Amino acid sequence: MSSLLRVEGVDFDFQGHRVLRQATFDLEEGSCSAMIGTNGSGKTTLLRIAAGVLRPAAGSVRLRGRPMAALSLKEIARTIALVPQQLELPFDFTVQQVVEQGRTPYIGMLRGPGRTDRIAVDRALDLADVSRLRHRIFNELSGGERQRVKIALGLAQQPRLLLLDEPTQNLDIGRQVELIDLLHFLRDEGITILASMHDLHLVDKNFSTVLLLSPGQALASGSPEQMLKPSILEHAFQCPPDRHPLLIERAELYRKEAR
Amino acid sequence: MLASLTAALGLVTLVSVGTGAVAISPRTLFAAMLGHQPLTQMQRLILFQIRLPRVLASGLVGSGLALAGLLFQGLFRNPIADPYVIGSSGGAIFGACIGISFFSQWSVFGFSATALLAFAGSAATMALVYSLARSGGRTNVVTLLLAGFAISTMFTNSSYFFELFDRTGNGKAGKDVLASWLHGVVSIPSWTELGVSAALLALATVAALPLMRTLNTLVLGDEYAQQLGIRVESARVSIILIGSLMTAVAVSLGGMIMFAGLIVPHVARLLLGPDHVRLLPVSALAGAIFLMLADTLARTIFAPSEIPVGVLIAFVGGPFFLYLLRKMKRSYTV
Repeated sequence: MSSLLRVEGVDFDFQGHRVLRQATFDLEEGSCSAMIGTNGSGKTTLLRIAAGVLRPAAGSVRLRGRPMAALSLKEIARTIALVPQQLELPFDFTVQQVVEQGRTPYIGMLRGPGRTDRIAVDRALDLADVSRLRHRIFNELSGGERQRVKIALGLAQQPRLLLLDEPTQNLDIGRQVELIDLLHFLRDEGITILASMHDLHLVDKNFSTVLLLSPGQALASGSPEQMLKPSILEHAFQCPPDRHPLLIERAELYRKEAR
Repeated sequence: MLASLTAALGLVTLVSVGTGAVAISPRTLFAAMLGHQPLTQMQRLILFQIRLPRVLASGLVGSGLALAGLLFQGLFRNPIADPYVIGSSGGAIFGACIGISFFSQWSVFGFSATALLAFAGSAATMALVYSLARSGGRTNVVTLLLAGFAISTMFTNSSYFFELFDRTGNGKAGKDVLASWLHGVVSIPSWTELGVSAALLALATVAALPLMRTLNTLVLGDEYAQQLGIRVESARVSIILIGSLMTAVAVSLGGMIMFAGLIVPHVARLLLGPDHVRLLPVSALAGAIFLMLADTLARTIFAPSEIPVGVLIAFVGGPFFLYLLRKMKRSYTV
């Protein structure tokens, strides 16, 4: 598989504080990766850098081998879609109007949306399973519905890479499973996925690669089996091994496998 | 909707130009337009030298304020942002007062110094308020409203010094010009002035048209808009300049009129939804109708006395603003 996005030696400072240090990772076409790490370890920042919204203080980001800095915002937006944690709208836009914004990189200033754009919006609404909500007001939707609409907005961009910032945050377990199923479906459709994940239970089995960000440490990556080892998590999250059910559970699992 | 509003605008224009101390009925106006019965000399004088310029000026003032309100509300993602609240009107008034007091005889390429300084004041104030509210790449809405309010109050009140230390050299007449500006009285402009104002407003509206879709995207937030391919900073600067020009046109013809830029886009949004592409023409027409009606009421309701339309609208706009604050308090919890 070829590399879709390569982040190399990226540093990022925020208010005099180094948030990212020499972060390096590679996303292959069609991969489905999870990014984990403590609060404030820079997961959201790294996603924003990967989406071209933030510029790193040092290092490079390459999209299909081309430096991100050399690409126009529209070129980037046609390849990468970022689904942020929050979307607060001050006015009562309908779901369809929200998703139509995903066509912005394809629509010129003087031209309205055409047939291709309408087809892309319909498909995005279908893929995210929110067609039935298209005339509802976005601000009146539940958390799970909003999450799906945000993903539909990203899909309307017809991206090759979908970046999601904590997509299962504030979702009940049923909606979490639905969302993970949706991510699998999108991966099968050929979309590369990178999601920052808070709930480590959902990472195992659902993602092919795990990127681990720890404060003061270089970014580490590997398969879920490699990265979700209790010793690694204990160190990365600075959590005593006998105090959290996840670590106890995983320690038990690895003991069984070792036997 | 647009056809109905255009028809309503035509009707309101007819009623407004016919209403006053000397009434001219719509039938008389129609008869004159169709060439059946010409107007009397007196009627022609009243119509073309007084009423029609004033009614058209009030229409331009209403359109300008409503359009500027629409742009600023979308740009700042806030239904309470209007030219007055965020300081754009205050800056324009301050600039115009300097123009009236010190450079009343000056003009550049047909634009009076008053109009140019109104635009400069409006744009400079917006730039100041905007830069005060920006922090860490984000616009803080609470800071924006507070900074806008503070600057608006400061400029508006300092304009009273111009009234106090009148430099127009026209004695009481000069003071009256400034006083009517500060209270929001629609002037009776010359046809040249009216033409230039209409051309400027049309130019600003045409320039705003392609930005309406961008404004829809900006409503998602700066970062969202950027990752959707919008060059956020240049879009912001364009919208601020266009909104400032619209405010300056309105202020140079009508002085300080609060709330019109708040009420009209908000009502249009309630009726049509938040799509700025649809809201632009509707706000322009509805703003014109609103101010024409308000100005006609202001000059006839206590006839023969006339109250400033700014005062009349403040009585309607004040309670409406409070209603908006009440309704939107969810969004402004700090």
